[in-house]
Amino acid sequence: MTWLALAVIAASTGVARADDTPAPTAKTEAEISSIAERFAKEAPETPDFRMHVSPLLGKVGCNGRACHGSFQGRGNFRLSLFGFDFKMDHDNLTKGDNPRVDLESPEESLILQKATLAIPHKGGERFAKDSWQYRVLLKWAQTGADGLSADREQDAVKLQITPSELHFSKTGEQATLKVVAHWQSGRVEDVTALCRFQSNNEQVATLSESLITSAEPGSTHIVVSYDNAVVPVLVVRPVSDKLGDKYPMVATPTRIDELVVNRLKQLGIVPSDVAGDAEFLRRVSLDLAGTLPAPTEVEAFLSDTSSDKRQRKVNELLERPSYAAWWTTKLCDITGNNDQQLNNVGYNRSTQQWYDWIQHRVVENMPYDKLVEGIVLAKSREEGESYADYCKEMSEFMHKGTDTNFSERDGLTYYWARRNYRSANERALGFAYTFLGIRIQCAECHKHPFDQWTQDDYKQFSGFFDPSRIRYGQFPAAKKEADEMLGALGIEPKKSNGGDVRRALQKAVTDGKIIPTEELFVTAAQPERPANKNAKNKGKKPDLRAASAKTAKLLGGEVVKVSALADPRTALMDWLRQKDNPYFARAFVNRVWANYFNVGIVNPTDDMSLANPPSNAPLLDYLAAGFVEHNYDMKWLHREICNSRTYQLSWVPNETNKLDETNFSRAVPRRLPAEIAYDAIYQATCTDEEIASRQTDVSRRAISVAGTQNRGKQGTSGYALTVFGRSVRESNCDCDRSAEASLLQTIYLQNDDEVLRNIERRGGWIDQMAKAAGMTLTGEPDAKQSALAKQKAMAKQEETNKQAAALMQKGKGDVSKLDKATVERQIVVFEKQLAKATEDKNEKRVNRLTTVLESLRTRQSQLAQATDKPAAELAVTEAPKAEAQPEVKPEAPKFDSAKVVRLAYLRTLSRPPTDTEVERSTRFIHEAADPVAGLKGLLWALVNTKEFIINH
Amino acid sequence: MLHTNCEGTTRRDFLKAGALGTAGFTLAGYLRGLEAGEVAATAPAKAAIFVNLNGGPSHMDTFDLKPNAPEDHRGEFKPIETNVAGIQISEHLPNLAKCMDKFVILRGVSHTLAAHDLGTDYVNCGNRPIRSLDFPSYGSVVTKERPGAPDLPPFVSIPNSRQKPGYLGVQYATMNTGATPKFGQPFSVRGIKLNNGVTVSDVEKRQSLLSDLDKTFKGFEANSQLVEGLDRFSQQAYSVITSPRAREAFDISKESPAFAEKFGKRDFGMSCMLACRLVESGVRFVTVTLGGWDTHADCFNVLKSQRLPTLDEGLAGLFNGLAEKGLLETTAVYVTGEFGRTPKVNPRVGRDHYPRAMFMLLAGGGVKGGRVLGASDEKGTGPEGKGFSPDDVAASYYKMLGIPHTLEYQTNTGRPVMVVRDGQPIPELFV
Repeated sequence: MTWLALAVIAASTGVARADDTPAPTAKTEAEISSIAERFAKEAPETPDFRMHVSPLLGKVGCNGRACHGSFQGRGNFRLSLFGFDFKMDHDNLTKGDNPRVDLESPEESLILQKATLAIPHKGGERFAKDSWQYRVLLKWAQTGADGLSADREQDAVKLQITPSELHFSKTGEQATLKVVAHWQSGRVEDVTALCRFQSNNEQVATLSESLITSAEPGSTHIVVSYDNAVVPVLVVRPVSDKLGDKYPMVATPTRIDELVVNRLKQLGIVPSDVAGDAEFLRRVSLDLAGTLPAPTEVEAFLSDTSSDKRQRKVNELLERPSYAAWWTTKLCDITGNNDQQLNNVGYNRSTQQWYDWIQHRVVENMPYDKLVEGIVLAKSREEGESYADYCKEMSEFMHKGTDTNFSERDGLTYYWARRNYRSANERALGFAYTFLGIRIQCAECHKHPFDQWTQDDYKQFSGFFDPSRIRYGQFPAAKKEADEMLGALGIEPKKSNGGDVRRALQKAVTDGKIIPTEELFVTAAQPERPANKNAKNKGKKPDLRAASAKTAKLLGGEVVKVSALADPRTALMDWLRQKDNPYFARAFVNRVWANYFNVGIVNPTDDMSLANPPSNAPLLDYLAAGFVEHNYDMKWLHREICNSRTYQLSWVPNETNKLDETNFSRAVPRRLPAEIAYDAIYQATCTDEEIASRQTDVSRRAISVAGTQNRGKQGTSGYALTVFGRSVRESNCDCDRSAEASLLQTIYLQNDDEVLRNIERRGGWIDQMAKAAGMTLTGEPDAKQSALAKQKAMAKQEETNKQAAALMQKGKGDVSKLDKATVERQIVVFEKQLAKATEDKNEKRVNRLTTVLESLRTRQSQLAQATDKPAAELAVTEAPKAEAQPEVKPEAPKFDSAKVVRLAYLRTLSRPPTDTEVERSTRFIHEAADPVAGLKGLLWALVNTKEFIINH
Repeated sequence: MLHTNCEGTTRRDFLKAGALGTAGFTLAGYLRGLEAGEVAATAPAKAAIFVNLNGGPSHMDTFDLKPNAPEDHRGEFKPIETNVAGIQISEHLPNLAKCMDKFVILRGVSHTLAAHDLGTDYVNCGNRPIRSLDFPSYGSVVTKERPGAPDLPPFVSIPNSRQKPGYLGVQYATMNTGATPKFGQPFSVRGIKLNNGVTVSDVEKRQSLLSDLDKTFKGFEANSQLVEGLDRFSQQAYSVITSPRAREAFDISKESPAFAEKFGKRDFGMSCMLACRLVESGVRFVTVTLGGWDTHADCFNVLKSQRLPTLDEGLAGLFNGLAEKGLLETTAVYVTGEFGRTPKVNPRVGRDHYPRAMFMLLAGGGVKGGRVLGASDEKGTGPEGKGFSPDDVAASYYKMLGIPHTLEYQTNTGRPVMVVRDGQPIPELFV
């Protein structure tokens, strides 16, 4: 089946080149002209069912979904949907009570009469009498209406399309594609009239059959399909006149940059400028490690003047626990770590164990293929391990206070234990989604016209996943042993209901007992049972045990004799590892790329089909090949991407790239993913110490939530994660995670209790700032402190009053014994009293007070000379009212607004504020009821800016 | 509760609208839309409810019975009379039979998309899906044309929906309640009420600070649907939070027991009651979803024991409830699945996907109830005569709402697209 591989190659290069060599076959024959020309009049040749008749029926619409392709058929006539079940189609055309082809009198054939409306046809006229289509079908009927001939079964077709790329320069410009098929037999034929054509973006190119018309500037693909080959043809129309010599000099320091700019040059798109340091740091921290940079980190990075600081930052981030946590979460997304699907597997520990298992490997940077091998070839028991030992080991993972760790086991067995991963079909779909990034759903029921997979491909691929051979459950031979273990624990499954048994087992295992444990095991192929001809068995129940599949076929690859394999999955793993596997490395590389650039090189990232070609094929090829060459080193891949100039471009667009979101000419603003958004809100509102501790300990962060339920994990909100679209991991689709914005998200950020509580909570950053300024969270002077201060002040006041009274009494007060503080206090007291006495015109009292004041001042100057202490250090005391109850005014807050505003910006937007922002923010703080309320408002506003929730 | 259909759940089958081009939507454009709303003020319906019967209910067992068809077609259910002479529906819809005068049955609706996702997208926007462009669904168009009260979310889905804003952009997306209201329990959407101690004046000061600080992306709204959408959500959220109206609107426990009684106790009935209450409060567009119609096997048992009683109770509650509040006239109600089901019962006693013949219901919005329009043929295999397309029904629905189906929008590349590209209002509806 070489032609499948060829079709794949054509897709991966994005272009079917005119100079491609045809399939390596027998001698190439001279090109045969188009069937439309050959049958423009009567022709002597016999049309072939597979090459001509079947595609023609598709072309005129007979096998469409609304017509005879419907699974019910139409008018008692059914064709396979989009036609690839040649046998059924041929049978339905030529056999049965009312065959559509009349071999006796071919012109009476229903396929001719109905399609030309000679007799009524609900599907209307499909072609005219004596058209070339009519002649082809008539001739086929006249010559015996043969079906698929046995020797043609292995026919291979490769499509050669001219021109191989379409370059337009103005709206309305047209070009016609010509499609030539090369069959393995050597036959070369113009099949343009029998092909299906589709434009992947009608805004760029519209089409009518093979005539392509340019619409708007941009690029897209025209997808051409015939038989089982699907070939995309690139269409390019530049968006500006910056082409050739007019294209500005653009630096391309890395291979990625070269490949991206090559493409941009074709389109006349100029990349944006390189992003500033703060923008880069924020972006790379969020993308690579799922975390906002710490405020101190921002300051340090901005003041670092070395030229390699970006590279060093990338390396540093790769070593953080948060890198491992975030990428483990992404791997849990695509492998489907889901609580509902693992209900009753592993006593509610399975999703956590799943997460830990992957995290362990991401931390040690295990090569991706090795990590996948641990999943694909997972088995519960080691070679020779007894059931009892296995149960012991598994139980110990769940003992209270255990120090054993599931992640040290070789295999991630739970992958195979999910409820939605039990049947061969489900497994084939899920495996293709997770490890190959392709969708084979359609092929379960029919071949899709613009995808290569046939029902047969799907069915044969499912053969690797036979649930009778790869099973998760109670190992039959150990059933007795398991029952005995239950008996020893006093659990009797037959006498109690399932829920009680589970609870009893859960308790037993937590308490340190050993419990029987289900396992993933692989059995030998079930041989085909000889038909039972023994007379005495007649009438007995038939043997329902079906024989295992003998063979299975890799998608686009070889047929494997699985019955001879101890574990059919080994063939799958070998295939994934083959250097020329077109999907395995590409799927991963593409998903990682999409994490950094908003869209994949193939997008959607789980639809790597021929009809959905990469926007930049050489780029995807380069990354995939490099990934394999570097031994599937995940960190190499992250480094390669993050160190490229392309990744480090600014989001600020220019005239040429403002509408480009698919060619990587700038950073595309995108909403923070759910877990990262939740952690970012928390980090923006917690203390600097907590920010630091959350960098090293990720256990309380949303990026380390294991499954799809929260299980009461501390510090993470299931509600927020749901609203922001955390992956539900249930339908084999990367769209299980949502990046869309919504009103409910904004309502959450603006007004949800959770966010407001985070901002205002005791122990949070604002609390810390308030305390430092001697205030409480409600903006009042700190209550405890002020009560104490009040007591002290009252005592002091009392003493002062006494002293003052003494000083007024002649002879009783001796200023020479007073200390400096007391003197100062008394001066204040007497100045006040003097002022009042002057006002009252009490001359006697004025004289007396003046005398005392003078002696106090003399004492004060003596004291000042006696000590070296500067006057500024003297504590300033409040002016107590002489007669009234002393009142303590709050101290003016030690609140440096400008400094606090800067800190608030660093912890939210990861950059220092501009002067305007400082001015507006400090004004807000000053105008607020109190500085703490002002700061709350500022932090709220910053968390609600678009700049906060958008990664840019 | 969400039901998974035979093809699995949500799939994103379309490529995003084109990447390159000129022009685009702006807030200014939205404000112009506000003015356009004045034109619509004379329309019969001010609000709309869309009930999505996810999975594709059988027409043969609900509103288009064929008692005279062969046994392997007509199925187990018998027709019963309704309160409109001459109209019969399934025996398992007795409550709807008693309010037949309030809605119209469209029979012989027909299209060609037999996949759940494609069919669902089709009936949710009235345009046959194409790969290169995502069309906006009814809710997004209606709320763009008739923005409604600023302190209410204009477009609400209970608990979520397949209605997408498409090329109009995420700013016209629905607000999902996320949860379904339950009988006898208060219901609220998190975050829509002001915290204790926070005053509107506090919020206003904060908002003013926010709008002064949130300037980084200013001037780039046209280049990013995300930036533009976030701006719009920010305005909406502020209005919703500061007014008591929104939380009142969601609190179904405020309905009188006498009124609530007619909706039964099931979640779907409660959702219908919430839809009613939201519309009464001024929400423009509400979707309610009832899934579980993908009955490939054992369909008669499933239908008669679960689906039909649930539908019957909730939908009758909705029609009667709207009428009782005097809202039926001013609310356009549209009830549909993504397709009908095969007229011939399959060997597993189920019916499979069948877009060639299906039913739809319309009510309110100045359309006179108690009628059946169109028909399917003898065995329910296709429309009798020309039939109606989902596009025609979409054009009619927009007409009920005073929005011309020929209204033209521009996509972000400046491509002009009509709201309904290929349909005409059904004339008989509007006599």
